[in-house]
Amino acid sequence: MRIRESVALACLVLAASLGAQREPSVEDLKYPPLKEIKIPEVATFTLSNGMRLYLLENHELPLVSGFALVRTGNLFDPPEKIGLAQITGSVMRTGGTEARTGDELDELLEGMAASVESSVGETSGRVSFSALKENTDQVLAVFKEVLASPQFRQDKLDLIKTQIRGSIARRNDEAGAIAGREFTELVYGKQTPYGWRIENEHLDRIGRDDLVAFYRRYYFPANILLAVSGDIDTAGMRARLEKLFGDWQVSQPPVPKFPEVVRRPSPGVYFAAKPDVTQAFFALGHFGGTLDDSDYAALEVMADILGGGFRSRLVQRVRTELGYAYDISAYWGADYGHPGLFTVSGSVRSASTTEALEVIRQEIEKMRTAEVADAELRAAKDAVLNSFVFNFDRPARTLTRLVTLDYYGYPRDFLFRYQKAVAAVTKADILRVAKERLRPEDFTIVAVGNAADFGKPLSALGSPIKEIELK
Amino acid sequence: MRAIVRTLLTLLFLTLLLRAQNLKEFEKKVTEFTLANGLHFIVLERHDAPVVSFHTYVNAGSVDDPGGKTGLAHMFEHMAFKGTRRIGTRDFASEQKAMAAVEAIYDQLEGERNLGVRADPERIRTLEASLHAAIGKAASYVDANAYVRIIEENGGVGMNAGTGMDSTNYFYSLPSNRIELWFLLESRRFLTPVFREFYKERDVVREERRMRVESSPQGKLMEVLLAMSFMAHPYRNMPGGWAEDIEGLRVRDAEKFFSAFYVPVNMTIAIAGDVLPAEAKRLAEKYFGLLPKAPPPAPVRTVEPKQEGERRGLVESPAQPTLIIGYKRPDQLHKDDPVFDVLASLLSSGRTGMLYRDLVRDRRIALAAAAEASFPATKYPNLFLLYAVPSVGHTVEENEKALYGVLERLKSEKVDPAALERVKTKIRAGLIRSLDSNSGLAGQLTYYHANYGDWRKLFTGIEDIQRVTGDDVQRVAREYFTPEARTVAWTARDAEVDK
Repeated sequence: MRIRESVALACLVLAASLGAQREPSVEDLKYPPLKEIKIPEVATFTLSNGMRLYLLENHELPLVSGFALVRTGNLFDPPEKIGLAQITGSVMRTGGTEARTGDELDELLEGMAASVESSVGETSGRVSFSALKENTDQVLAVFKEVLASPQFRQDKLDLIKTQIRGSIARRNDEAGAIAGREFTELVYGKQTPYGWRIENEHLDRIGRDDLVAFYRRYYFPANILLAVSGDIDTAGMRARLEKLFGDWQVSQPPVPKFPEVVRRPSPGVYFAAKPDVTQAFFALGHFGGTLDDSDYAALEVMADILGGGFRSRLVQRVRTELGYAYDISAYWGADYGHPGLFTVSGSVRSASTTEALEVIRQEIEKMRTAEVADAELRAAKDAVLNSFVFNFDRPARTLTRLVTLDYYGYPRDFLFRYQKAVAAVTKADILRVAKERLRPEDFTIVAVGNAADFGKPLSALGSPIKEIELK
Repeated sequence: MRAIVRTLLTLLFLTLLLRAQNLKEFEKKVTEFTLANGLHFIVLERHDAPVVSFHTYVNAGSVDDPGGKTGLAHMFEHMAFKGTRRIGTRDFASEQKAMAAVEAIYDQLEGERNLGVRADPERIRTLEASLHAAIGKAASYVDANAYVRIIEENGGVGMNAGTGMDSTNYFYSLPSNRIELWFLLESRRFLTPVFREFYKERDVVREERRMRVESSPQGKLMEVLLAMSFMAHPYRNMPGGWAEDIEGLRVRDAEKFFSAFYVPVNMTIAIAGDVLPAEAKRLAEKYFGLLPKAPPPAPVRTVEPKQEGERRGLVESPAQPTLIIGYKRPDQLHKDDPVFDVLASLLSSGRTGMLYRDLVRDRRIALAAAAEASFPATKYPNLFLLYAVPSVGHTVEENEKALYGVLERLKSEKVDPAALERVKTKIRAGLIRSLDSNSGLAGQLTYYHANYGDWRKLFTGIEDIQRVTGDDVQRVAREYFTPEARTVAWTARDAEVDK
């Protein structure tokens, strides 16, 4: 025991003497120029049935994977059958195909350590596959079956309904999830496809016929972008896919645009009671914008300085200086086709809830009234520009990006335009966009927690508290 | 049937081939060296993109927290981002004095508080005020978050750290022209750490516990399961520590912990990506060569006594019910370790896992049901974990019974050879799929080196799994999945408790 302590002590002394050696300065480091980024070549074609095809060779590992991006989304849910898109996406795969039941697909695919999966999100549907190279043909065959001849067997529709009923029953278990959900629904509006949620009564109304009809409306070749990458030969794969999908010749009228977001602010302080927590979870903000906004780069940099990285103002104040929180962040929400949400969120110890929200409002006000410091702007821009290379650290990123940009009708050099725009952002830009686009009077503030422990009451924020009843 | 056998044989052959190629190909890209002070480096060359990932594995975690000071390993991890004698300060000489003043006042305060009922409340109040002022003074010299700012503005991504039961891990990636920046920053935080803003960061660490454990039904359940399962071994404590332990941590505790456990021989570093081994070695010697050699710390002595009877515990919660069950199992070096991996995969991998099929798909009594081969960590004897999330209208009791039913089948019936082959194939394919991520690989290489003495175990471990037979599966299920070796914990609403 004594020996161990003296060793530890000796180490301490030694470390102290080493520390006395001059520590090299980061500023003295000289970096060679970064090697040129190799942007992989994506080949694009149109198959004879109208499907757009994207191929990317990457021979590092004996793997092949791909995905079909389908123009659909849960924004097309009928109001009385919310959840239809999600359920259709899921049962397309689990409900099996003409040739095989879903359970048979599970055995077949997992026996090859392969996967074929299907889902529908807000603004797109996706069917994906992943295979070891030697199983490519078998897995592609299943992938095509799922895309072109799903059977939507009733047992798997019942199963997903059971699963969703379970998640409805559990949706108020975690305070953080409640805050995020309520905030999103309040800002977009609970009566719009952007803000509504699945209830048990919707599930009761959804039958197999609805799934089949939804599938027929959206899953047809001209409505699909297909991407395949990995250990493939471009010409060979193109020929294989042409042959495989050649007989899938169905057609539907073009899919309409997604519903518009109605920008109507819903300002106020909302509170949901959750007695079994020792922190308050919160989300606050209002509508953000779209990615093609001419100020997008300035808004991103502004939000980053406010609450992006560890060096941001909110982390600095609320976490490092005040020690109120572990988790706090802000981001400028921007989406491709519709406005995202500018959101500040996190969790703080119950006793400091109101103080933390006050500090957040102060920090936002500072962004709106004074220019940021040169060092802050430089650090925020450098963070984006110096990490730019990570957009190209794997070839598959280039493929996914290209398909996504095409899907949403964005220019293919969008990322490089963004890079240029960030480099050009000035302090005046930051102040201007903060002033124009952050509107504290419109903030929707949602807090979830145990009000008995709040110390200073939420009403100190200056507005009446609207209670959210958790259902 | 014959077709199936042929498919199995083809698969077997292919995968054997694949495996041999993998390791041989991979070995060509790996270089290892050990510095004179004992610090081991593994360098993996992947030059496709000009990026590089770094991973520092410290073979010390929350199991090494001293008694009454749980959360200390985690606290140190937070301090490792506070900077160095040069980074994060406006005037280090003055800051050092101010930090010493904080400690001196804190010592007096603790001394007074330790008098208990005989303490002078007035003196405590005065000392508390002085402490607050001293902390404010020390903070006035701080250039806050400078260390992480430098990483972020140089294009660092994926920067974080994690404290586990067995280890503490630090990692991020940089553009590959900035490799030297990592060497400077990483070596300095472990050469002369500075415990600045310790008491404010202690509040943040306390908040992390509130967020992860106190405000999370799952977190509370895990905490109870561990405390019941382990009476003596430190796996009984969550890595974040207990509330009042955290609130009492001092700088000197962190200093002692650092000098005992953050010694070169107890650390492994992997660098993966666009890096030249010779350059890595030159920089390693230049920067990390300064770390003083020190003896390796002792492992945890405490051995958990044999469990002699089932343990059961309830957590009352307004949340929907969840059930977890832990069976005692030996550590990662035990010969049965690969069998547990196979068992976990048989039970819960994909949609063909036995638990999914039985509880979720066929009986619909659970929303999810799965198994983990090791919990909460692997270095010491631990738990084989099972859990079930009951679906609406179904109970914890029903799910518990069904889980035992599945385990009984593993004991009484020979496992389906096709199912066994399937999980082996999946485990192998999982390895191949993990080989394209610099950051993931860097972490894996350090883990296998530190825990098995050789990074190659990442590949050869797959061979161990290949050798697992149906008899092994049955024997291990019979030997370990016994009622007296299990601990059961679940959440339920008050109303259900009243019944």
